Amino acid sequence: MNNIQQFQYDNKITRAFGMASFIWGMVGMLVGIIIALQLVYPVLNYGPWFTFGRLRPLHTNAVVFAFVGNGIFMGIYYSLQRLLKARMWSDKLSWIHFWGWQAVILCAAYTLPMGMTTSAEYGELIWPIDVLITLVWVIFGVNMFGTILTRRESHLYVAIWFYIATWVTVAVLHIVRSIEIPVSFTESYPLFTGVQDALVQWWYGHNAVAFFLTTPYLGMMYYFLPKAANRPVYSYKLSIIHFWALIFIYIWAGPHHLLYTSLPDWVQSLGTVFSIMLIAPSWGGMLNGLLTLRGAWDRVASDPVLKFMVVAVIAYGMATFEGPMLSIKSVNAISHFTDWTIAHVHVGALGWNGFLTFGVLYWLWPRMYRTTLYSTQLANVHFWIGTLGIIFYAVPLYWAGWTQALMWKEFTPEGTLAWGNFLDTVIQIMPMYMIRIVGGTLFFIGAVVGVYNLYKTAKQGQFMPNENAEAPARERHIPVVVGDHWHRRIEGRPMQMLLFSTIMIAIGGIVQIVPMVFIDSQVPKISTVKPYTPLELAGRDLYIKEGCVGCHSQQIRPFRDETERYGEYSKSGEYIYDRPFLWGSKRTGPDLWREGGKYPDSWHYNHMWDPTAMSPGSIMPAYPHLLEEPLDLRDLPAKIRALRKLGTPYPEGFEKIAINDANIQAQKIALSLAEQGVKDKGIESKEIVAIIAYLQRLGTDIKVQKKQ
Amino acid sequence: MYKYLLESVDGIQCFGIGTFLLFFITFCVVTIRTFIFKKEDMDHMANMPLED
Repeated sequence: MNNIQQFQYDNKITRAFGMASFIWGMVGMLVGIIIALQLVYPVLNYGPWFTFGRLRPLHTNAVVFAFVGNGIFMGIYYSLQRLLKARMWSDKLSWIHFWGWQAVILCAAYTLPMGMTTSAEYGELIWPIDVLITLVWVIFGVNMFGTILTRRESHLYVAIWFYIATWVTVAVLHIVRSIEIPVSFTESYPLFTGVQDALVQWWYGHNAVAFFLTTPYLGMMYYFLPKAANRPVYSYKLSIIHFWALIFIYIWAGPHHLLYTSLPDWVQSLGTVFSIMLIAPSWGGMLNGLLTLRGAWDRVASDPVLKFMVVAVIAYGMATFEGPMLSIKSVNAISHFTDWTIAHVHVGALGWNGFLTFGVLYWLWPRMYRTTLYSTQLANVHFWIGTLGIIFYAVPLYWAGWTQALMWKEFTPEGTLAWGNFLDTVIQIMPMYMIRIVGGTLFFIGAVVGVYNLYKTAKQGQFMPNENAEAPARERHIPVVVGDHWHRRIEGRPMQMLLFSTIMIAIGGIVQIVPMVFIDSQVPKISTVKPYTPLELAGRDLYIKEGCVGCHSQQIRPFRDETERYGEYSKSGEYIYDRPFLWGSKRTGPDLWREGGKYPDSWHYNHMWDPTAMSPGSIMPAYPHLLEEPLDLRDLPAKIRALRKLGTPYPEGFEKIAINDANIQAQKIALSLAEQGVKDKGIESKEIVAIIAYLQRLGTDIKVQKKQ
Repeated sequence: MYKYLLESVDGIQCFGIGTFLLFFITFCVVTIRTFIFKKEDMDHMANMPLED
């Protein structure tokens, strides 16, 4: 006979993560509104740190890692304890995890506006923070597996498999994406270069969406939706197939972010095929969630928790239908680089992650405070304002995306671009950008109402820091019965589960990435492509610092309209010295890959000082500080050394003359500026010359030179 | 350009076919084994969130 054991669940840690999720969520949404305003009113950019380029990664990181990240931990720390009939393995580790994660967020909130970034989307944080993330993630893992191994319940419910897959995959993704050589405390160069870096980045970036924004939230769906509906999941069998199919397929889909780029076609095709296949497990999961409400739909009308969850699951279904569609090459040819992508991700972030988080919070708070929700009516107000917010956010941006694509690709009967000036296509979508601000603000107001409601709920109740529970002790040695089900055996053994999950996700990454890195012929070399000069390198790092990649791509796809507008399409061999790659994923401004030599130096000088001086109506922030800030070349020798170590063929000893070389090139640019009428004393020692040097180099290596 | 890139890796078609086969086999095994799961075990696990 088993002894009944008494123990307590830790609610304090769940509450802490819940509060952090809501608070950081508000911050992330507010920054989102600010950058949306900056796109319409560029005067709201205050250089150097309060500009769109620097705040945009702050917004994405705050929403992904602070809002959703803390939401994940809230959900895991609550459901894991109850599903395993055990308190978290170590309270101390729980709190180190909590404060460690908040420290990561605070570091990000400081470094990103300061321009300290790796420029890898969703992986922008600099290497010391990467190290901190690794430590915190390991602590979380130790605590989670410690709890799993000391559990009282033999079986692992499907939600826990999703948590295990999340933990292992995020660990693998984070480590591979963060392999870099530090140059200083705040700067580093990634191991991979050009096309390979692009592939690794989107293998990481896409799977950050998959395994940070999706799998842990699916785990939460499988726990909290049955709880809220008070009935078991529609089909447990479907949840098993959902899990294995999803984690197997998701890991391959990354290259759909790089369709029609210089990435080899076979990798693009793999990405497309697996992305389309993804619709099956995704919709299997969505239907499993919705059908869990069978016979309870009448309660959806009256229960705000279920309302939030239903819309969340529907948003998941919409986003996971749209994702595979966007991965079809002919659709992607239209959607990529436009606001369509932004609309798509916000259906996921606001609808799926946002609404599921709110639903769980509304469910958790009254239970942890032993009371009822302060106001169902206010929760309903939150729900409707939030839903309207999502609609007012997404619809205008879909419209903006289609408008952009149609205008970019339109030709006159004479065969020239109908909208040759890129700015015309920007001005056209300004009304949509304005409506988007309304949508984002509505969503934010809804969240404020939610905070008030939860605060009042807490005030009227009494918090239960430790919740009493009892369960029989687990039998340590479960006899394996002949004919016992295979999955029952696996799911009783978490370490095997971890191993299988790791193998599943490793296969996809290895097959795609390894040939790209080790087979030279994957990236055909071009003899005229040379490493950047020291000054260009300094300019490139400033380009990264200012977050220019947030609005400007450096990848011309082989389409008639793109070669007409920007020049010769991009070749993979052109990027072999690009560490990190800067292809970008959005064209709020034009592509810059063939920018070199397009305009005189003075054009760039005036354009940085005030973009509207050269392009009336431009929404680009002004960068007057580049004209004033002294150019810091002290790190150049270390940069040259690091890049040579990684394979850039700078000659031995070049680092000793690098600063001198940069100064000579800066003098030349200052001279050319003076010849073009820019009389600015001492300009050769300002940041602007490095930026000009870099921009004038872009894409010129394979341009046919006119004979002198 | 694509033709050139495709030809640049020996036996590149193996990647696609091998990958698909790997997935297909995994999927079939998971599906078949799932559907021969005992009903009482399924019910027990499906009810776990409701029993804490």
